[in-house]
This record gives sequence, structure tokens and C-alpha cells, in this order.
Amino acid sequence: MRQPLSTLFLFFFSFLSLPLSLSLTTPDSDSQAPQDYIHAETDYQEQLHLRPLPRAALLASFSFRSNTTFSEFTSRNFRLFPRSLGQILSYANTRELHLRFNLGRWDAESWGSRPWNGAREGGTGVELWAWLVADSEAEAERKWVVLTNALSGLFCASLNFIDSTRTTRPVMSFRPEGNHNDVDPGKMHLLHGVLPHEVVCTENLTPFLKLLPCKGKAGIASLLDGHKLFDASWQSMAIDVRPICVGEDECVLQIEQTIDMVLDVDRAKRPRENPIPRPLPSHFLPCDTSKPYHSHDTCFPLDHTRNRDWSLTQVFGRPLKGACPLSNPSIPPICLHVPSSRKVFFAGVAAEQENERENIRCYHLSPEEEFNLVLPPPELPDADELDLVVPPTPPPLYAERSFTGYGQERGGVQALLHNPSKAEHVSFIYFETLPWFMRIYLHTLTARLIPNNSTTSPPKDIKVKESVDLIKKINYRPALDRARPSHLELHLTVPPLSTVQLTYTFDKTILRYTEYPPDANRGFDVPAAIITVLPDDSSDPSAPSPDSNLQPRYSLRTTTLLCSLPTPDFSMPYNVIIFTSTAIALAFGGVFNILVRRFVAADEGPVVGIAALKRRLMLRIGGLLKKLGVKA
Amino acid sequence: MDGGKVTLGRAAGLYAGAAVLRLAIFSLLPALPDLLTGRVEISTPVTSFKRLQEGLFLYNHNVSPYDGGVYHQAPLFLPLFSLLPSYATFPFLTNFLYVIVDLLSANALWKIAESGEAGASAHFTSPRREKRWSGFVIAATFLFNPFTVATCIGRSTSVFTTCAILHAVAKAVSGAPFGAMAALAFASYLSMYPLLLLPPIMLLAYDRQNPTRAIRSPLKFSLACTTTVALISAALLGMSYLLTGSWEFLAATYGVQLTLSDLTPNVGLWWYFFIEMFDSFRSFFLAVFWLHLSCYVGGLCVRIRSQPLAVITLLLGIFAIFKPYPSISDTSLFLALVPLYRHVLPLMRYSFVIAAVILYCVLLGPAFYHLWIYAGSGNANFFYAITLVWGLGQSLLVCDLMFAVLRDEWEVERPEMVGKEIRQI
Repeated sequence: MRQPLSTLFLFFFSFLSLPLSLSLTTPDSDSQAPQDYIHAETDYQEQLHLRPLPRAALLASFSFRSNTTFSEFTSRNFRLFPRSLGQILSYANTRELHLRFNLGRWDAESWGSRPWNGAREGGTGVELWAWLVADSEAEAERKWVVLTNALSGLFCASLNFIDSTRTTRPVMSFRPEGNHNDVDPGKMHLLHGVLPHEVVCTENLTPFLKLLPCKGKAGIASLLDGHKLFDASWQSMAIDVRPICVGEDECVLQIEQTIDMVLDVDRAKRPRENPIPRPLPSHFLPCDTSKPYHSHDTCFPLDHTRNRDWSLTQVFGRPLKGACPLSNPSIPPICLHVPSSRKVFFAGVAAEQENERENIRCYHLSPEEEFNLVLPPPELPDADELDLVVPPTPPPLYAERSFTGYGQERGGVQALLHNPSKAEHVSFIYFETLPWFMRIYLHTLTARLIPNNSTTSPPKDIKVKESVDLIKKINYRPALDRARPSHLELHLTVPPLSTVQLTYTFDKTILRYTEYPPDANRGFDVPAAIITVLPDDSSDPSAPSPDSNLQPRYSLRTTTLLCSLPTPDFSMPYNVIIFTSTAIALAFGGVFNILVRRFVAADEGPVVGIAALKRRLMLRIGGLLKKLGVKA
Repeated sequence: MDGGKVTLGRAAGLYAGAAVLRLAIFSLLPALPDLLTGRVEISTPVTSFKRLQEGLFLYNHNVSPYDGGVYHQAPLFLPLFSLLPSYATFPFLTNFLYVIVDLLSANALWKIAESGEAGASAHFTSPRREKRWSGFVIAATFLFNPFTVATCIGRSTSVFTTCAILHAVAKAVSGAPFGAMAALAFASYLSMYPLLLLPPIMLLAYDRQNPTRAIRSPLKFSLACTTTVALISAALLGMSYLLTGSWEFLAATYGVQLTLSDLTPNVGLWWYFFIEMFDSFRSFFLAVFWLHLSCYVGGLCVRIRSQPLAVITLLLGIFAIFKPYPSISDTSLFLALVPLYRHVLPLMRYSFVIAAVILYCVLLGPAFYHLWIYAGSGNANFFYAITLVWGLGQSLLVCDLMFAVLRDEWEVERPEMVGKEIRQI
């Protein structure tokens, strides 16, 4: 990068300022109608969207999509659709599948809306939900076990631990994305399971890439490297399978795989062989010159002003090995979202399309040549950060959730749901699955409105009244010990520019000692709350119905929580059994002793004591000796 | 005439004092009730008021409270508490109900004390019976026992069981066997374990029958009593079934007591034992523990046949130690009946040790629980050790009281042995 540009890049710069004629499905596009997904030319397409974010972050959204017709699928004629997954789906009667592997936290405050409007991400860990066709609930559960076990093997994840204690049947939160008109709605069963403790890692990426037609050897998937992907600040791998029917054509089964990652550019640029960060020499430090104490020997370091330049090879650690030859050539494989004022260079054989209005530049690649993209440093070194990136759009809702209280006996959960919009009400479903060992008390559930303009805490007396208005509907299924988790779905509405504080309390259960994991004092992971913002489909924006079939407007997940339970002493089961048994024996012995023995005066009855014992012993020994003597 | 008036006046004064004390605590220390409700020594999974409120909330919102892991109490509590105004908005009536129940228990206790059954039963008259406390003193020791007050303030539903048991005994003593059986069936319906009191209460009722309409045949009498209990229990369970619409409450209430699926710490011996128990032996030891709990009934009834009230007292003491979810409420019931045996208290040998052990546990139990759960500087063994000592202290009291009762009986045969050293062979 430090070499002169003219010597490094032997390329042709083609600044074609063609308006984009293709319908690009960007991660931010609002339209999620299934019709957009189908392209007649070929059944496979892939695309990578790069979007620099504020604070030297880079969002990379990979999406890979292929279709197969139902007739081919049922005759087991797999071409682009992965055979391994297809067989599992047909064996488990799965109509629609959504599998998520997630790590990290999306920083909505600085990064804005989530990619794909949150539709392609899950809570931390592994999340799976699927619509199965079954005649009864019991059969659906059997199929679900088959599905989780098979996926567990396919993706090297502990999905087989999604048993009945982690499975719920959400009612309001999820809508099918595909067309299921050919199936009796009564036979469609939605099951949902989460493994918040699962650590997503390279062994999950490898099978993920193997499902792709180009297997990560060519195309944008060649950029995916476990070292960089799992080093990201936030990453999400998703697999969605859904049937799609358009008009009179035959329905197709579509698989869409997406990977979204937010790279910390600074971190990603560290060389692989020498990854330890070293302090910059002082003359390279960018200083905040506005500080009054700034001088030649005093520096207040400016945060994130460096590393606003990067190249594809640097941040992903490997070059892009040309386009995947199987993919639809009319879809540009790489798109970069930067303001049109910024210069972008590329190396390799490529055709650039620029759409200045939308600040998108896309590149058509050739399958043979390696490709690199370079975003040089800004021309003005102290340019405002927001001029260098496409400003992120604010999400419709901010959510955070935390525990309250202390100690290992009981606690509370607090969720803060903030609507940043100035005019619109936001209506959403708040869905939580809590493990059975958190015994929640639903009667303590309160929703309190905190208007943003008030700096002081709100008056106490509005609490009850507000909670009636805010919570439109509660769907609750209490947990059953060792059998199923609690399932809480709330339909809430937040007025503009205000925050709703949702709180409830719970008791922590002490478990049998065999039910604790080996690291019992680390705590137990509680799955993320899933928030589905409902579309405004009616004239009354404050009350959209959760029953409508429209796709949600936005969805987001809070972070997972770590709940510490009281622990017994694992080292002493034998001691406890012995001590308790002794206490019982003492009590029983005492009672038995008093009940069966007779009272006598101290001087009555047979004499006891050392002397008496000695005498009796001597008598016995004497008798024994006598006997022996006689025999001898 | 005058005496009656004085008694009435004293009773009113005592009850008013106890009620005022409780209501004053409720109103002057509004944070205390919830604090006590959260204490493991007072609230167990089968008696907790907080769980009752959750059950009520679910019941009022048409979710079955028994299809969950929180509510394990009798179904008839649900309509009872639904009739009262919501605790969150108007707690006075609920508090008042608990105070009334305590006063009713004290009233039953008063009747038991006044009957003189403890000193002079049908088959045995103690030579020491003159040395006894009046009903007033005994009701007062119950009402002002800190354990009773804490249970009432913590609004544990075990007060209803206590009240039913005391009324069963009071009815039996006053020669109303069917009333006694009804009260016992109610107590058993609420907490199941009082069913084990059926044999001694039957004996007591048999001994104290009204001579004019007595059933002389023991077989007929016991058959009648058992049938009464069975019928009333069946009626209560049937009502519960109609109320909840399914039988799942059986598993959620009695099933939990039988299988101990909720291992929340309490002052008993079961919880830690079954946390640490190996899975393959769990059911075996559950059976052993229940067998152990019920094995005392027969032995005590046979050996102390002449004093059924003493059997009931001792059994209540044993239950307070060995039942699956004991709390200090059970101890308070036992301690309420112990003063009836004022005349044999001088025969006890370890009174000081017992008092010291109980005080030791009362002071150290909460401290060790705090160290384990909140401070994190102790582990579960701290609290477990205290529950062991508590169990041992109470079993010492039970054994010692049993010894005193039996020695009192023995001294009728051997009057010359009063005050002499004795031993058992």
C-alpha cells in the first residue's frame, strides 16, 4: 500500500457512470417481497456489499442464493442446492428453515440499522427455527429432534442440545417467508430453539462454505477466512430455506446463505504473522489539537481517525479470486457503499457501475483474475467522520436488556425499549425464552413509560395506568421444571421519542448437582430477547395487528444475559449423604431408644460400668479357656 | 360468672393485642412483609405468598397455574384470594385475613389447654397435672412467639394448615369427632402431611367422645372417622377439579411434595440431600425419607396410647424436622403445643442445651445464608450445617419431651422414684 499507486496497480480504470439497471437486493433494501429473489437467468447468485461504518468499522454483507424446483428436489436431483441439507429437510418434513450463528454485539448507536433489517441474524450463539409439516404436535416434536440432530452433525454445532427445555412455539413473533399455500395451515408447526452458550467458530464456517456451489474456492466466498470472520466485532451467519411461488410457475425451493460481519479495520489490518499491536511512534499519533493542553509534547489521541483506508486484501487477509463461474453474470458480485466524493481504486479485470444518488459502486468481475479494492485515505486528513461514510439510518427501535438486583437468590430483568422517531408510534412483539431455572413472576411485570424530555424520573403514579396502555397483548406459557422453558411474548407500543422500561422479577433455582455444567460458577446463558417491529399496515399507526401476514418491518435481538445460580458444594455428595443420614439416625435412635426400653431406678437392673464389663469379659474368657482346656 | 367475664375480657385483650401487633407491623414497616416472604426460613415452595400471588395472577388470566413450575399450593386458595381485593392495590384485607387465622388458631389452642387433656386423659391422670398454664398463657405464647409472628407477617399459607390442625385437635378434645375429621381433612387437603395425624386424632376423639352418643366399638369408630376424612377430602379434591378443570393440580401440589422436584433451600434436611444425591438413587431415598417420616406414627400411638395429645404434639415436632418442605411455621406449631406439657417440663434433662441450640440456629442461620447467597464468602455447606444443627436441636427437644412424658407415666407406677436417678434398660 505504501508503494506508488501507479506501480502497484496495472489495471484499467473504468469509471462508467452507468445508472444501475439491475434490481440490487442490498442488505438495507426495505422490500423483502419474495418476488425480488427470483432471477430467471441462472439459479445462483452471490453478492458482497461493503459498507464502511463510523468509528473505523466495515460492514461486509455476503449473500449467496440458489434455487431448485420442487420437482427436481423431490426427485433428488440436486445441482446448486446442497444435497446434504436437502436430504435432511426432506427427511424431517421441513418446509422452511432458518438457522443462525451469531457472535458479538451490534452497536446500533453508532452503526445504525442492522443489515437486512435484522431479518438475517440471530441471538448470540445458535438459533434455529423451522416450519415442519406434521399431523400432530408430538410428531412435530419427533421431526424437530431429527432435524436438530441432523443439523448438529452437518454444521458441527451442538444443535442436538436443543431439547424440549429449549424449544418454544412462538405465536406472534415469526411469519413464514415462503409460500405455504399448498399445505394445510393446521399441519404447519413452528418450532424455535436457541443455544445461547454455543461458541460459533471455524468448524461452523467450513460446513457453511461447503454448501456453496463454489465451495469458497472462487467468488466472494474466497474472502471468507475464519481468522478474520471470528475476529470481527459482530458477525452473523444465516441459512434460510423457503419455498417460493410466483404466479403460475412451478414453485422453487430457495436457499439463501448470508454472512454479515462488522470488521474493526484497525484490528483487521494487523498482519497475521505479527498480530500484537504496537504503540505508534509519537510523531504518528493523531492528536486532538482543540484541547487546551495540546502542545508539541502533550497529545490527546484522536479516536478512530486513522485506518479510514483499507484494501480488500488487507481486511480479509486474502485476495478475491475472481467471480464464481456459476453465478449469475448480470449481478455484480461486489458493491461498495461510500459517498461518491470518495476515491476508490481497484486492481484486476472489472467493470465499475456507479450510482451516485445512492452512493453505491458495483463491480463486475471476471472469473479468472484476482480482484482487489482499495479505499485510499481521505484527501482531507481531518475530514469529519460522517462525510467519509454513507450516514447510517437510525433503526426504528433501540433495545437493551439487563439484570437487576444482586445475590444468587432472586433477581429482576429490565428491558429498555427506546423509540427514536419523532412522529411514529412503534408497535412490536417482545419475545423471550427463559430457561426453566429462572422462575419468573409474571404478576410483577410492569411497563413504564419514560418520556425522553423529562430529565428527572417520572412520577410513580403513572405506572399502573401506562402499563395497561403499553402492553396490548400477553402470550405467556410458564416454564415447567426440567421440561420446558418459559415463553413470553408481549405486544407493545412505544409512543414517539420515549422509552419503555419493562421489568419483572424472578427467582433463581438451585439445581441437582448433576445438572450443573463443569464451570458452574460461570453462570448460565439466557437467550436474547427477540424484538419484531410490526409493519404499519393500517391507517391507525398505533395499532397494527400482530396477526397480519406481512413481513416484519425490522427485527432485532438484545444481547444474551449471564445468570448466576446458587451452587452446592460439588465435592461432597458422600459427606452430605453421611451427615444427613447421621442426623436422621440420631433422631430415630433417640425416639426408638425411649420408646422400647423400660425405665428402672439407677440401682436396679443389671450393673453396668467398666468393672462390671471387665468381670463379664473375664468370666467369658475363663469359660472359653476352660472349654479349650477340656478339649486339649 | 365473674371468672367467665374476666376470662372473656382477658381473651379479648390478648387477641386485640396480638392483632394490633401484627397490623402495626404491617402498616408501620411496609417493607418487612415482603422481606419476610422472601426468607427461605419462612416461605417454602409449597407455602410462599409470592408464589400464591403468581398463581392467582395466572388463574385470573385464564392460564392454568399448575401448568408451570411456580405454584404448588392447593387450588381452593385461588378463589379465596381472588375474592379479596388485589394485594398490590389494597393489602389490608389480605393482611387482616392472616391475622384472623392466627387468632382462630390461638382460640383453638386455648380450648385445648382449657380442656386439661394434657394432664388428665381418659386412660391416664398425671400426678403433676395441677402445675399447668392457663389457656391464656398458652395462647399468648403462641401468639407472641416470634416464629408465629414472622410466619403471619410473611403471609405463608402454612398458617391455614396450622389453624386446621389446631381446630382438628380442639374439636377432638371437645368431643366432636366429625368436626375434628373435617378439620383434619382440610389440613390434609392443604398440605398433605397432616393425614399422618389421623391415627392419634382418632384415638383422641375416641377417648373424648360425648358419653351420650358415643360409638363404643373402636372398629366402627375408626371406620366412621376414616370414611369421613376420605369423603371430605374427596369432596375438596372434586371441587378443585371442577375449579381448575383438570387433575394436573395433583402432580403440581402433592406430587412436588412427594418427589421434591423443587430444591429451594429451607430449614429441613431434604433439600441438600437431594441436591447431592446420585440420580440413580433418588427415588429410593425419596421412598426411604417418606417411610421414615410416617414410621413414627404407629410406634408413638402404641407406646403412648394413654395420652393421644402427647402423640400429636410429638408427631408435630417430628414433622417440623423431617417433612419435605419445613419452615419455622411448623416449629411454631410444635412450640405452641409444648407448653401444654408444663407439668412435665421439670422432668426434661436438656432444656438448656435445647434452648441454646435453637438460639444458635436462629442467629447463625440467616447469617450463614447471607454468606452463601449474597456475600459469596461461604458456600452451601454453611447453611446446610445450620439446618443440620436445627434438626438435631429440635429432635433433641422431641426426644426429651417424650422422655419426660413417659417418665411422668412411669412415676404413677413407681411413686417412690420421684426425683430419683433412673436409667433405661
